Amino acid sequence: MKTTRMRVKQAVPFAIAIGIWFLPVPDGLTPQAWHLFAVFVAAIGAVLIGAFPLLTAAMIAVATVVLTGTITPANAFSGFSNSSVLLVVIAFLVAQAVVKSGLGRRISLFMVSRFGKSPLGLAYSIVLTDAAIAPAFPSNTARAGVLFPIVLSVAQGAGSVPDDAEKRRLGGFLMFCAMSSLAVSSALWMTATSANPIGVQIARQSGLDIGFGSWLLASSVPALVAILLLPLIVAKLFPPRVAETPDAPAAARRDLGAMGSMSRAEWITAVTFVVMVAGWVFADSLGLNVTSIAFMGLGVLLVTDVLSLRDIAEQGDTLTTFLWLAVLFALSGQLNELGFMSYAGERLASHMGGLSWPVTYVTLIALYVAIHYLFVSQSSHVLALLGVFLDVGVRGGVPLPLMAFGLLFASSYFSVITPQGGSQNIIFAASGYLRQRELYQMGLLVTLAFMAIFLLIGTPWVLLVTR
Amino acid sequence: MSTDRLGVALLLIVAIFVTALLATACAPGPEPQGAAAPTVGAVEFQGTWNAAGTRRTIPLGGGRTSSIVELKGTMLLEGPGRPGVGFLAETIALVDSASGLSGRSVWTDENGDQVFSELVGEGTAAKNRISGTIVGGTGRFAGASGSYEFSWQYVIESEDGKIQGRAVELRGVVQNGPAEGARQ
Repeated sequence: MKTTRMRVKQAVPFAIAIGIWFLPVPDGLTPQAWHLFAVFVAAIGAVLIGAFPLLTAAMIAVATVVLTGTITPANAFSGFSNSSVLLVVIAFLVAQAVVKSGLGRRISLFMVSRFGKSPLGLAYSIVLTDAAIAPAFPSNTARAGVLFPIVLSVAQGAGSVPDDAEKRRLGGFLMFCAMSSLAVSSALWMTATSANPIGVQIARQSGLDIGFGSWLLASSVPALVAILLLPLIVAKLFPPRVAETPDAPAAARRDLGAMGSMSRAEWITAVTFVVMVAGWVFADSLGLNVTSIAFMGLGVLLVTDVLSLRDIAEQGDTLTTFLWLAVLFALSGQLNELGFMSYAGERLASHMGGLSWPVTYVTLIALYVAIHYLFVSQSSHVLALLGVFLDVGVRGGVPLPLMAFGLLFASSYFSVITPQGGSQNIIFAASGYLRQRELYQMGLLVTLAFMAIFLLIGTPWVLLVTR
Repeated sequence: MSTDRLGVALLLIVAIFVTALLATACAPGPEPQGAAAPTVGAVEFQGTWNAAGTRRTIPLGGGRTSSIVELKGTMLLEGPGRPGVGFLAETIALVDSASGLSGRSVWTDENGDQVFSELVGEGTAAKNRISGTIVGGTGRFAGASGSYEFSWQYVIESEDGKIQGRAVELRGVVQNGPAEGARQ
């Protein structure tokens, strides 16, 4: 039975939506953009205060905006055919094959045998692996598809399960480390996410040519510091509560030996996975669509009976994720297409006049990061606002390379601020190891930590190397 | 303070911050000096246009291409006598790499009043200056006339086929029509 407190809490998002909806439409915005903003901000607010789960908030939001004629059904439901959204869903299903076939247990035992003396050791092995493979993956969602089965297998291999309050902690710790790692490793390498080349093109239009080497030089120090501190920060925020396990590596080596040689299902899964990874790495040069590669991989796993239809049917959480992600993706995209995002960005930036350039720089970066609460895609955010903020910063006296790199790096590390802030997050968020509120809380704290590192360490470094 | 409480407190701070941020963004901006109610005579304006949309291209051989472009986004204006703080500007255009651009644009303000214009331009990456002729409107822009020009700072295509552009140096002059003049 719902308590009065819960009922009040659940009334708050409706009050927010109705309150904003009936405020006078700001000059220069259309009523549609304003009303969509009212509904979107209420939906995100509902999750932030714990009034409703994301699925509930998303369903009410999409029904409201379509039934009130705010946006067309075609636009509202466009997320269901978006390739990034579909890639998340398929990568999640493929990950189940890695676990079911036994390949995941083998990988898990191998990792524990090498790094399993402590949860921190496991976390570092995941974070450093991600940093090492990142430059080869132009899609960080595909990279999440590679990392997730490994992290899931390691968590399950260590006895961590989502439904147990205490046992879920190790899995939650590793999941969040991996999720945050994807954010910061994307800042380290220019080719680690599709949003980076878009940002580089925008910077070029402003007069700054950035290549692979100059990006790496500028990002190296702040990004590596962030990568090295990441497991420690997450351990502080969400302690895995697992003691040091000095004997675990030896035990894992024994279990690995007892597993014997790889089974048929393991071989099929391993080969399928390797081919998928190769396809993702060379997708651009071969002209292949990354989502179609994932569909083919899932098809092969079904044809060879590594996965059955029953296995797919049991993944109810995947459907939940698909529904809310597709809806939020479409609504956020419509906020952009109706002009709300650039309107807010331009108007915010117009208040920057008269400030010293360091204040302008820090304020613009903070605003740029905070506004990511309204986005469900890094690329959309970069496309909509990077040029605007870069322009305002440079006109405010901030050195062009500093402003450009500051915004480019932020475009990667801000993705962890919400679970929907980047499609690569969703696979980890949907694992069930972390509650939605925890994802928002830790997302905010880790993003603030990243921002502090990139501002305090990255700023002097970028100024030094771009002199 | 536990990490959980710290997280809740920070989330609340962020919620307040983002709300304040958006209130600032959407609050009326400082009026330009000398701003006044729209006048009957011609007035100048300038601004920016951030637009998102789609582009479908067909090759015509020999490197020639033709595209249908649909763009929609916020046009924010400055200047004394500007016709409005901003508009939702929607454009449909045919862009031919050999013969240039021909398009139509509709600007809609917060009251639903609209400005209609026709666009022509060279439409290439190197020469993307586009000229618009205001050919009328509805509501307070009924019978409006004038012209404007802009060029793209960038137009970038994302992996999902969507394009986003930012137009700068948007400058023009608009004259209210007889209907608006009569109301004043």
